[in-house]
Amino acid sequence: MQRSRWIGAGVLASTLVLTSCSSGPAGVDAKQNPKAPLELWTRTTPGGPGEQGALKLATAFEKATGYKVEVTAIFDDFETKLQQRAAQKNLPDIVMNDVTQLGAMHSQGLLREIDLDKIKDSEQIIGQGLDSGKTVDGKQYGLPYSAQASALLIRKDWRQKLKLDVPQNWDDFAAMAKAFTTQDPDGDGKKNTAGLAAPLSTKRGYASWYFSNFLWAAGGDFITEAGKGTYKPAVTTKASVEAMQWFRDLGCKAKAIQPGAVTMDTPPTNETFEAGRTGMFVVGPYLLPRFDETLGKDKYEVVPMPKGPKDATVLAEGGSVYLMAGSENRAGQDAFAGFAVSAEGQKTAMAGDTGYIVQLPVNKTVDISQVRPDPRWKTYAQAYQDSGRYAPSIPNWTPVRQATADTVNALMADCGLDTEAKLGELDKQLADILKEQGIAAS
Amino acid sequence: MSLDQAEPAAPPSAGPAPRKAGRRDGGATGLLGRSRRSGRWWTPWLFLAPALLLFLYFKFIPMANALTMSFQEVQPYLGNKWVGTENYATVLQSHGFREAAWHTVVLAAGQTAGSMALGLALALLMEGQSRRLKFVRSAAFLPVVVPIAVVAELWRIMYHPTGDGMLNSLLGLVGMGPSGFINDPDTSMASIMLTGIWRGAPYDMMIILAGLTSVDRGLYEAAKVDGASRRQRVWHVTVPGLRSVFSILFILAAIRGLRVFTEVFLLTNGGPDGSTEVVMTLIYKLGLEQNRLGVGAAGAVLLFVATLLLTVVVQLLRRRESK
Repeated sequence: MQRSRWIGAGVLASTLVLTSCSSGPAGVDAKQNPKAPLELWTRTTPGGPGEQGALKLATAFEKATGYKVEVTAIFDDFETKLQQRAAQKNLPDIVMNDVTQLGAMHSQGLLREIDLDKIKDSEQIIGQGLDSGKTVDGKQYGLPYSAQASALLIRKDWRQKLKLDVPQNWDDFAAMAKAFTTQDPDGDGKKNTAGLAAPLSTKRGYASWYFSNFLWAAGGDFITEAGKGTYKPAVTTKASVEAMQWFRDLGCKAKAIQPGAVTMDTPPTNETFEAGRTGMFVVGPYLLPRFDETLGKDKYEVVPMPKGPKDATVLAEGGSVYLMAGSENRAGQDAFAGFAVSAEGQKTAMAGDTGYIVQLPVNKTVDISQVRPDPRWKTYAQAYQDSGRYAPSIPNWTPVRQATADTVNALMADCGLDTEAKLGELDKQLADILKEQGIAAS
Repeated sequence: MSLDQAEPAAPPSAGPAPRKAGRRDGGATGLLGRSRRSGRWWTPWLFLAPALLLFLYFKFIPMANALTMSFQEVQPYLGNKWVGTENYATVLQSHGFREAAWHTVVLAAGQTAGSMALGLALALLMEGQSRRLKFVRSAAFLPVVVPIAVVAELWRIMYHPTGDGMLNSLLGLVGMGPSGFINDPDTSMASIMLTGIWRGAPYDMMIILAGLTSVDRGLYEAAKVDGASRRQRVWHVTVPGLRSVFSILFILAAIRGLRVFTEVFLLTNGGPDGSTEVVMTLIYKLGLEQNRLGVGAAGAVLLFVATLLLTVVVQLLRRRESK
């Protein structure tokens, strides 16, 4: 009996090991079937307007080309679920996700290179957007379908009540944030307002995301190019340290950032603005429909970010269409990518007051002011065109964003920390990350 | 004490003896009798097969996969690369892993001790047969059945860091605060611990309540006759009587504590300033946010080994104690 048990255990262990070792690059050369329906994943709230927009685009695509598309909307832990499908070697055919996910997905071999010759209207894509889909070796692995940049949202009624002008520089910005915090702009007699709404949690690297608007406008940087495709850390430069110190003072000295910001990701931060707890918010245009509905269009205004010590650079982002590896319908993938960036696709995906998935068009032939006459959209388009800056194309931006978010979060949470020492530690961490990715300047 | 030690020791010595005797003098008749009783040797395995198959595919194969992945650089569509123990080295040397491990131990210990102490107090208060007590017990058990996401959101609201936050208004009444709670690196760990204790204590309470029914009432009466005070009766009768219950609870709570994830992830995501980073949130960040699945798997295997060791050590200690 003892012996048979051991034999059984041995057989079981061998089976497990053999099963677990059977991983290989299966699915890369999947047999092609141009009639196979395309499975499309989009990073948006299920049942929300984003999903409606994606469905609208998919329907128009089906009508125009005859291919079939099945749309799945996922918001929470999108990347985790994608990893699970990758582990099963059964990826969706198309993923519509943030441009910054390019490196992470590419480095894992989840993406198929895009041949621009096979993409209809690819020459109409704006250069800056097209570049955001290129990996460090210049190959195209993502195709932008939507662009956006940050602008400043201000509670107009609060600003007018306190007789303040729209901020033109960082001094004005800080003064307004302080006034919104201390001068009871909502007039309820309580000290329950804060100047600036900021998601400073480390989740998905939000703190880094948000701070980049200030870091870049000050002339600072997370990492900087050192020639020949190599990079070096830049968080300890004078401009970077000053930007961090200025932003920190907003929270630590002026107490002008909403309480609890260091544990808040985007949903609770959005709520502070719409609930009248914060008066300024640096954010992309995707929140306009939401705030129009919850807060009222007349209550807030959209203005360009005030100039920092260097310029008015703001974070440019957007969404890309990624063609996933292992698809059995590559022709359908190419057709969808082409349709998403075509003038027709862009206009379809921009239509409506809420259910749109294209924020700013990436197709040169589409004029935003014709599709959306609302001047606030023009402000965003201008910010993207004049001052928008994407995160650099390195093999994997995610670890850089995570490490910088951890440090920004730490410095904002603990006002007793030494800024320069903490940034010095981050500098070393970034050097290791760059080295690990093989792009460190020697 | 002597009674308490004598009772659990009695059944094991009485139990196996007749079976051993049966085997020795059983011979052919004994074997025949046994096969009649239990059928062929594989019959129980046949009944177990569906469950074992499900376990194999949904538990053991993924576990084996994770073990293999911990030695690989995972790239599903490029082919995984064997990297030996590199992932383990990365995890062990990764920034903050040691801190995360320490935080996990502190949180597990605090939540385990807090939940058991509060659970015992609640159980002693709510012991009895009255209908009202049943209602109160059900009410007290509610935190266990409320989804953890709801619990986290509830406590986030209660922990609002300004003077008008719910808990801060209470602190204000006694002239304290306002505290930053989860937003202050100095108080964040204690705040998470408190949430965990609030959720875990009613669970412990129910198990202790079940255990209390097995404590011999006669011992209470004897102790009372001997002049023992209420506190002495609890300490010298109830607590020893619940020893096995405590040991089970300890294992369950410690495992739960070591694998703590959801409340930390939802309340602080390891922040602020990494003050609540635990092994599970670190594994999540390494593996799933940074897409380094091999490194994440190595962290998961290390956590599994730690949990296994803890369980084995506690079992060995229990066995030694019962001898």
